Amino acid sequence: MSIAKKLGGLIRQSGLSDWPEQLKQSLERGLEQRVRLAITGLSGSGKTVFISSLAAHLLQSDQGRSLPFFSPAAEGRIIATRDLSATAPNPFPLQRSLAGLRASPPHWPDSTDALTEIRLALRYRRKPGLGRALGEHSTLYLDLIDYPGEWLLDLPLLTLSFEQWCRQQQALFASPPRAQAAADWMASQRQIDWLAPAPEGQRQRLAAHYRSLLQQLREPPYNLSLLQPGRLLMPATLTGSPLLDLFPILQNWPQEPEKADPGSLFTQLQRGYHDYCEQVVRPFYQNHFRHFDRQIVLVDCLKTLNSGEACFNDMQRALTTLLHSFHYGRNSLLRRLFRPRIDRVLFAATKADHVTANQHHNLDLFLGLMVAAAQREIRFEQVDTRCLALSSVRATEAAQARLDGQHLSCLRGRRKDTGEAIALFPGEVPVELPRVEQWNSDRFRFVDFAPRPLPVGPLGPEHHIRLDQALEYLLGDLF
Amino acid sequence: MADSTQWQRPLELPADAVTPQTTAQPPHQPAREIPLEQTELTETDPAPEPPPSPRRRGGGHRLLLLLGALLGLAGAAELYRLISWSSAIHPLLGGGFTLLTSLLLLALGLEIRRGLSGSRQLRRVQALRRQAETLLQQASHGDSTPLLRQLEERYRDTALERELRRAIAQLDSSYNDREIIHYLNRHALERADRAAQRCVQRYSVESGVLVALSPWASFDMLLVAWRNLRMIRELATLYGIAPGLLTQGKLLRQILYNLAFAGASEVAMDATSALLGSSLSAGLSARAGQGIGAGLFTARTGLTAIELCRPLPEPGQRKNLLQLIANGIVRRLTGRGGETEAEGNV
Repeated sequence: MSIAKKLGGLIRQSGLSDWPEQLKQSLERGLEQRVRLAITGLSGSGKTVFISSLAAHLLQSDQGRSLPFFSPAAEGRIIATRDLSATAPNPFPLQRSLAGLRASPPHWPDSTDALTEIRLALRYRRKPGLGRALGEHSTLYLDLIDYPGEWLLDLPLLTLSFEQWCRQQQALFASPPRAQAAADWMASQRQIDWLAPAPEGQRQRLAAHYRSLLQQLREPPYNLSLLQPGRLLMPATLTGSPLLDLFPILQNWPQEPEKADPGSLFTQLQRGYHDYCEQVVRPFYQNHFRHFDRQIVLVDCLKTLNSGEACFNDMQRALTTLLHSFHYGRNSLLRRLFRPRIDRVLFAATKADHVTANQHHNLDLFLGLMVAAAQREIRFEQVDTRCLALSSVRATEAAQARLDGQHLSCLRGRRKDTGEAIALFPGEVPVELPRVEQWNSDRFRFVDFAPRPLPVGPLGPEHHIRLDQALEYLLGDLF
Repeated sequence: MADSTQWQRPLELPADAVTPQTTAQPPHQPAREIPLEQTELTETDPAPEPPPSPRRRGGGHRLLLLLGALLGLAGAAELYRLISWSSAIHPLLGGGFTLLTSLLLLALGLEIRRGLSGSRQLRRVQALRRQAETLLQQASHGDSTPLLRQLEERYRDTALERELRRAIAQLDSSYNDREIIHYLNRHALERADRAAQRCVQRYSVESGVLVALSPWASFDMLLVAWRNLRMIRELATLYGIAPGLLTQGKLLRQILYNLAFAGASEVAMDATSALLGSSLSAGLSARAGQGIGAGLFTARTGLTAIELCRPLPEPGQRKNLLQLIANGIVRRLTGRGGETEAEGNV
């Protein structure tokens, strides 16, 4: 009896008990009826708005109006879409974020502080042809997850040891603007003997200091992205947990680390780093970040243009490192069944509505500049990539101004912070990296706009920019 | 935009005001805020610009003209003699002949007028398509407005007008030119495209079956030609081009020209893939093979005609359609005709 109990416990632990479910899922995946779309983006890049808008448009795609470039919807082949996320443990708060966008005055969703899932089932008619032999109707399940962008930057930690991570951070903090902002922090580290037994509470104090430093680096004027560990900035359920008392050693790296006292800061940090990776990052990665089929990488290019070269470089580095955490490659049938890889990647510059329409092409090109390295590596695996400027929810209206006898395209909208109505010509998006002296000139001024209210009734193509083309690229071949 | 000059006035600049061009940076407008009242919402902005209408005059044209003049003169002289001869016999007979002649001339004039307007429409459509093709190549923004105006003007008071107008009204201000063309390609001609596809399918299956069943080999050519001409006429009407003998002839000439240049290899490839794809190797007779050949030829003619009559470049479902047609012919011949209709309702 006890053996049977033990066996049962083992089976439950190993996750074998839900193998029928797993088998079903991988079978669906093999038949291309189940797609996991990775929505990747640093914090503030618009993941939540993207998911809300995508779901809202897909849920009414049977009317075929709002997504003219998404061929199954435009051809009227989508019969209906159902939201299955209620079955998920943490459903995505779709209604709440849509209600915020529909309210008057409308507002953007709050920043995400937990991992949520949304699952859509799209029932469609197959294209006429050979596929119809499998039956005229079919269902595509689309899985999306939303999560705080800060957490994403923890994924690269899984491949690094504590020492490697510290070396990396040392290199980062040696160059401006981190070096200036962190001068205090570096000075305080200089006096510490890492190998000696540490007084009670020292690690917590230092960690709190490091956290406030990270917070400072995230805000303007720095606007940096590559801030690790990410949970320090968005602890959510881990608030106050000792797992978060973690920081890199930037000064006085000990010469002989093996001589460290068991109670020393060095040992504590090393253990803390290991625990953090194993207990926080790995579950997050294993449960949610493997087995993607398609990926969209959302990038807020305008933020970097507004805040300068350092921000640009940092975001570029962050994106390149974090894309290493995903598996790319072509899928064979077997591979799709058991270990799918991402076989199509879309890089999207969000907030395309914050520039005039004639600048969208430039925005595409600028995004291309930023992700050039990442794109090259992905293409090496023979995976398709594309750059596209899009806007999930359009916040501005295109307008014409007549200035000095010249017509000038401009934008009309309301400021995000004050709600004041403005008309703005935000400048031109450069197609090559601006020179040092141009970064902070008056060349561009991108303002954050508040959303325009979404209608409660059916949405139209005027409520987004190129969301349908993104969908067509990511999913169009599956219908 | 129409009233603003397209060129920059010459201007003398002091030497120190000129900056050297070594800094290879594009001139840019500084970012600035604009008072709200100075702005107006963007509509589909008007920028009419007459298209350069390309005209070609071949070398053989003059010869034809001379020949036509000679024949016309001869005919006129002959008619004159006929009338004078008949009125010399009896005035009533002369009157009858005069009436007949004038009726004939009237009908001829009408036909010529229709043909001329048809070929003018065809030329305009082709100019539009060329313009659209250039726009597809570039990522510009706002250059498609003249094309839209011309499209609207061209299809005013035709069956295509409503759909086109609706599609143009639905265009979003954020679309660039390429997206506009793609959008219109998909949505502005949907009904005509569907009707045209059905038409091509019907005629090709018909001519394929006719050829397969006809007992006289020499009769085949005539059959195919007859079906093809009717199909071209119908397609032209569907796309809003006045069908006349002249237009038909002109279209046919261009189609044959296009088909010749498409290359025999492509034709052969289409045919073989269709043959193999329809699992035909199981042994249909040679006549049935010929039937499929004729059907595919008709289909290709039809598709080329569509390509020539459409004001926008084709979205490219050609291969699919050819396959469908081949299957349709096989089904008809093997006596499973019912399914063809189901396939036809795409």
